[in-house]
Amino acid sequence: MKPECFKNRLYYGIFLPVIAVSGFVIDSPYYLQVLTFIGINTLLTIGLNMLMGYAGQISLGHAAFYGIGAYTTTILTVHFDFSPWAALPCTLVVTGMVAFLVGLPMLKLTGYYLGMGTLGFGMIVYVLFREWSHVTGGSSGMVGIPSLSLGPVSFSDSRNYFYLVWMIVLVCIVFCQRLIQSRVGRALRSISDSENAAKALGVDTKDLKLKIFILSALFAAMAGFLYAHLVTFISPGSFDFMVSIRMVTMVVIGGMASIWGALLGASVLTLLPECLHAFADFEMVVYGLILMLIMIFMPRGLTRGLMDIYERSVSKQI
Amino acid sequence: MSAPCLNRFEKPPLLRADSISKAFGGVQALLNVSFEVSEGTILGIIGPNGAGKTTLFNVITSAYPPDSGQLFLDRKKIQNRKVHELVRLGIARTFQNVELFENMTALENVMVGQYTQTRCGIFAAAARLPWAVAEEKQAREEAMALLSFVGIAQYAENRSGNLPFGWQRLLEIARALAAKPRLLLLDEPAAGLNAVETRRLGNLIERIRHQGVTILLVEHDMNLTMTICDRIIVLNYGKILAHGTPEEIQSNPAVMAAYLGTSEVSPLIYD
Repeated sequence: MKPECFKNRLYYGIFLPVIAVSGFVIDSPYYLQVLTFIGINTLLTIGLNMLMGYAGQISLGHAAFYGIGAYTTTILTVHFDFSPWAALPCTLVVTGMVAFLVGLPMLKLTGYYLGMGTLGFGMIVYVLFREWSHVTGGSSGMVGIPSLSLGPVSFSDSRNYFYLVWMIVLVCIVFCQRLIQSRVGRALRSISDSENAAKALGVDTKDLKLKIFILSALFAAMAGFLYAHLVTFISPGSFDFMVSIRMVTMVVIGGMASIWGALLGASVLTLLPECLHAFADFEMVVYGLILMLIMIFMPRGLTRGLMDIYERSVSKQI
Repeated sequence: MSAPCLNRFEKPPLLRADSISKAFGGVQALLNVSFEVSEGTILGIIGPNGAGKTTLFNVITSAYPPDSGQLFLDRKKIQNRKVHELVRLGIARTFQNVELFENMTALENVMVGQYTQTRCGIFAAAARLPWAVAEEKQAREEAMALLSFVGIAQYAENRSGNLPFGWQRLLEIARALAAKPRLLLLDEPAAGLNAVETRRLGNLIERIRHQGVTILLVEHDMNLTMTICDRIIVLNYGKILAHGTPEEIQSNPAVMAAYLGTSEVSPLIYD
């Protein structure tokens, strides 16, 4: 208990100053935007990690919720002239309802079958975005999404948007950490270890899995909302199958069942392609190679892997 | 076999099973099994491998529905309920192959057991409402007390998957007790334990009974079963072969035949 608590404080102690300072120091809008994308990806990853890492239920179609979030706010603001802040609750409600309706039958599946089911769902939603052109703009997407502003503060400024996104990420991290350390969090973790035993102790596993599925969909919808109002242009390509896979990769690379791991996974996988531009044609080859190496040498993800290296070096010194 | 008549000085039975039958395809795992467990007693269920003991457990805990027959807990019908609902009614169980939450600490395992005794939800947890914090603190203290009760309090913060097997068994019992059950089902709790551990387990089961918990025990260790059980049911090929006190069971020829296989008596068993 005590070392855990200390470690957690340490992470906050690194995380908060890094965010606060980088907002001040970095002037280039490009770098700020990259950091903002890390924040959006972190939101996606934290939500998916609650479902995959803690509850042990895989989803290969999470980009669908990300997309539903982005498209709902876009349609409401562009077609119906909603203010973005009025569109936000509608976006969350719509996504939550879709997650409820999809999760109800889907979560009866487990393991690979759940993976296949969610994969199918992701593809259906992608096709819907692409083909339902008079609502979603079809494959050319939609433009003219308004930027966010709050009173005198305009979030079209990349520094303000950067702070907005990371504030939300911080709230979500605190939310998830408190949840994980509570009665509900313990019940969640128990499902991934032995669903039978969890049921035999009175945990309504079906209900709890559904709730956490909806929660992770809401995180994705929030990320979608922030994405749409950041780039002010969306197209189906941003929410296809590969995006779902990339989200799963971020969770696995960062380390399953670790909230700080989700942050690390999202950071590494967002930054890596940016750093690898120098390899030009070989970019994807190097990218894949790095992922392979991480998985071979740190099969339990970066967070656990780095901790092991640190602990080994400490014990050697003694 | 019909349930024995109660005289009015006896307490009403806590659990009553009324002609339970269950088949898996062509295999009749249970056939017309009826019995009663009085409150505060230990009922042992013995029988050769494949006799239907674990099936009976799974039917009682609603893991499978029975094909026919009825189950009552305190005169309340309990068959066809969801597994997780039974815990709230007061039935908890352990598993034959220990099913701990291996990646969680021993203490956290017991605290999952308190799920039905606590009520903090997603938003109360995220907001750290004062009552939720108080509940968490109390739950933690009670869980520690349960770990000391079974004698493994010093391993509270160890990952449960790393505990030696004997302690995992004890932890599983502590976790089941955390649900404050009236009826505790123990599925072969002594399997894989050595003689000393088994003796300590027997002592623990007696102490649990003294707290007023009724116990249903499936066990292969005859020594343990005969020492601690008040009554014993012998199952064979899904049917009740004998029912009585440990002394009666030990001297029952049909039971001996079932265990040792005497050709002369076997027609009696398979009738």
